[in-house]
Amino acid sequence: MFYLRYLRNELVRRRTRTIVTLVGLGLGVALVVAIASLSKGLDRAQQKTLDPLAGIGTDLTVTLAPQQQQSQGFGFGPGGGGGNRDLIQSNLSVLTDLSKLGKPGAHFVHDFFLPGTQLTFPQRAAQQIASLDGVQKTTTGLTLLAEHQEGVVPKIVATLKTQAKTLTIQRNLPRPTAKDFAQMQACLQKAGVTLGRPQTQQGQGFGNGFGGGTGQRNDANRQAFQKCLPASMRRFRTRVTTPSQTLKQVLDPPQTNISTTAYTIGGADQSSPNMGVVTAAQVTKGTFLSPAGGKEALVATSYAAKHSLKVGSKLNLNGTTFTIVGLVSPPLGGQSADVYLPLKQLQTLASEKNLANVILVHAKSSSDVAKVKQEIQRALPQAQVASSKDVADTISGSLVDASNLSHDLGLALSVVAAVAAFLLAALLALSSVGKRVRELGTLKALGWTQRMVVRQVAGESLATGILGGIFGIGLGVLAAVAIDAFGPSLTASSSTGSDFANLGVSTVRTATRSVSLTAPVGITVLAIGFGLALLGGLIAGTAGALRAARLRPADALRQVE
Amino acid sequence: MSVLYELSGVARYFQRGPTTVRALDDVSLEIEPGEFVALEGPSGSGKTTLLQILGALDRPSAGTVTFDGSDLVKQPDSELAELRLHSFGFVFQQFNLIPTLTAVENVEAKLAPAGGTRGRALELLAEVGLAERADHLPAHLSGGEQQRVAIARALSFEPRVVLADEPTGNLDSATGGEIIDLLANLAAEHGSTVIVATHDASLAARAPRRVAMRDGKLAGNVRAVPA
Repeated sequence: MFYLRYLRNELVRRRTRTIVTLVGLGLGVALVVAIASLSKGLDRAQQKTLDPLAGIGTDLTVTLAPQQQQSQGFGFGPGGGGGNRDLIQSNLSVLTDLSKLGKPGAHFVHDFFLPGTQLTFPQRAAQQIASLDGVQKTTTGLTLLAEHQEGVVPKIVATLKTQAKTLTIQRNLPRPTAKDFAQMQACLQKAGVTLGRPQTQQGQGFGNGFGGGTGQRNDANRQAFQKCLPASMRRFRTRVTTPSQTLKQVLDPPQTNISTTAYTIGGADQSSPNMGVVTAAQVTKGTFLSPAGGKEALVATSYAAKHSLKVGSKLNLNGTTFTIVGLVSPPLGGQSADVYLPLKQLQTLASEKNLANVILVHAKSSSDVAKVKQEIQRALPQAQVASSKDVADTISGSLVDASNLSHDLGLALSVVAAVAAFLLAALLALSSVGKRVRELGTLKALGWTQRMVVRQVAGESLATGILGGIFGIGLGVLAAVAIDAFGPSLTASSSTGSDFANLGVSTVRTATRSVSLTAPVGITVLAIGFGLALLGGLIAGTAGALRAARLRPADALRQVE
Repeated sequence: MSVLYELSGVARYFQRGPTTVRALDDVSLEIEPGEFVALEGPSGSGKTTLLQILGALDRPSAGTVTFDGSDLVKQPDSELAELRLHSFGFVFQQFNLIPTLTAVENVEAKLAPAGGTRGRALELLAEVGLAERADHLPAHLSGGEQQRVAIARALSFEPRVVLADEPTGNLDSATGGEIIDLLANLAAEHGSTVIVATHDASLAARAPRRVAMRDGKLAGNVRAVPA
């Protein structure tokens, strides 16, 4: 077919123009394909990582946070204490009772468990939520802050110094006999001491008996008295003893070498491997907790790396040995912990029987989530209900930035690229017609009808569009493959928990997840890219053809003369 | 013998900015079939415009052009294209070959609208002595060779009229002579009327009929008395 050969010759033999057009259209299409793919890849990555609760099979989490005001009839509160008082009450066990750790000088290791900022409440609250409309399933979890203490029980030495004391003793002494009295009187008289009214006053005892004399005389009297006292009375005086007493003294705390490290520990319902504070999906190595709920533990990969733990390692918690059955990667946001135990085991260990501090809720359908959230809040006014979206909103990082960028800028960039490509193609088609005025005029002179000339010009542009589309798609796919292969890693991070200044501990944990950037190329994207190139070709073809059609053959031939 | 062309009061004006250029002014002319006519005159005297009106490439601003009994002025564009395809053959000073097409493809470009074949195109090239250059691009052919391809192209459909506009203008005089001879001989063979516009008096002198033009008007109309 001559027309097709002519078309091919035009493309092949006007190589530079064809290549420029193809590259222009191709780059435009490639950019559109690459950006669309990248945007899709980012969306996918975002869905995967920025939907943290979905990662643990959950639509909503229900927690009980300390209230600033006095609580009012909270359905599952720990007694309605309200405010930080609850918090301190719940966390009291962290205050170490050294006396329980062992004998002074003994080495001890102990883990204390405290609920941190998330107050515990009876597990049965979960059933209350489960009975709400639109709730498919609930599970409970217990996430505690653990204080691992290790050291030597201190010896406490108290140095006591008592102060001098004056003892006053009152006692009825046996009355001296008349003979004793006579002897004493004789003795005193010999020493020159005269007793005032001795005859009438003698029954009063000698204690008050010496009131009469002046100072100096009194001294002499006392000595004489001493000498003349009957033997039985002298003996009594030597036998006086102080009564026994108990001394109390406030001691400064002793210096000890106890070291404390904090970590978080989660109790998961091991019978619900797809929904809970930890799920089977998070296991990167080993297995999930067995349904029986034995002495098994899962540890976060980062925690395992820090403490050289691996699958099969033993974990001793206050005398109970747990075997690590698996390593888990933390979900972004939500409840993440360093160590996970079966819920019952943790409850026993932490003396939190039948208590939990988080309820995970799975709604029957994702469209119900908002409604369910409201219902829970109505049923349990003091509960904090967080949806995936709430959690996702707290997530930041390059992934979020890139995703936002791709949404905002990607579309604009695509449009600009496509329009630029179209313009280029159309301009080149126009200039091609301009340069070929004589050629097109000649064709008309040869007897080609208007339609034939227009068809030829439009055909060339369309063919250029098709080729540009193929080229662009190839280039776009190549770019996507390159992004997949060398794509930068994007990160998303979120902080959960809060500073808990009252106890001097912080439960703030930052989970960071990094995702390799991918650009999945879909058929739709390719079709759109190809369609754009075709459209570009058509626009260019129409522009060129319109100009060609306006040529009057005589003018066309005259122009070059 | 019936009249092939009958022009009466033909005028063609062009608007060049504010001024109106009278390229043709009141031209009346008759041409009979099989004639070999030379249109003489300096550049800008209206030769090319007249040729384009005769070849149905342009319409006059005034007057009538009757070709083979029908008024070209009244024909629709599609009819004029059909006439150009089958009844007219053009030869240009610049050869006007399609640069991206080979010699044979350039002839095919003329044959294509009527479904002509490559074989027919090769036959035509052979007639102008270029069979062995059929697959060369115009850029690889000499001026004379290019003009021969153009002649082969013009003669594709045994046209009633061959219209040549300064066909030797870009050629040296020897080659020009050859081209004119070829054109005259082939036109005679194919029974075509030839109208050649030229400013070359020696070339015009070889034509049995010379029509001189000055400023868009006929300045002379000499028909050699047949021997």
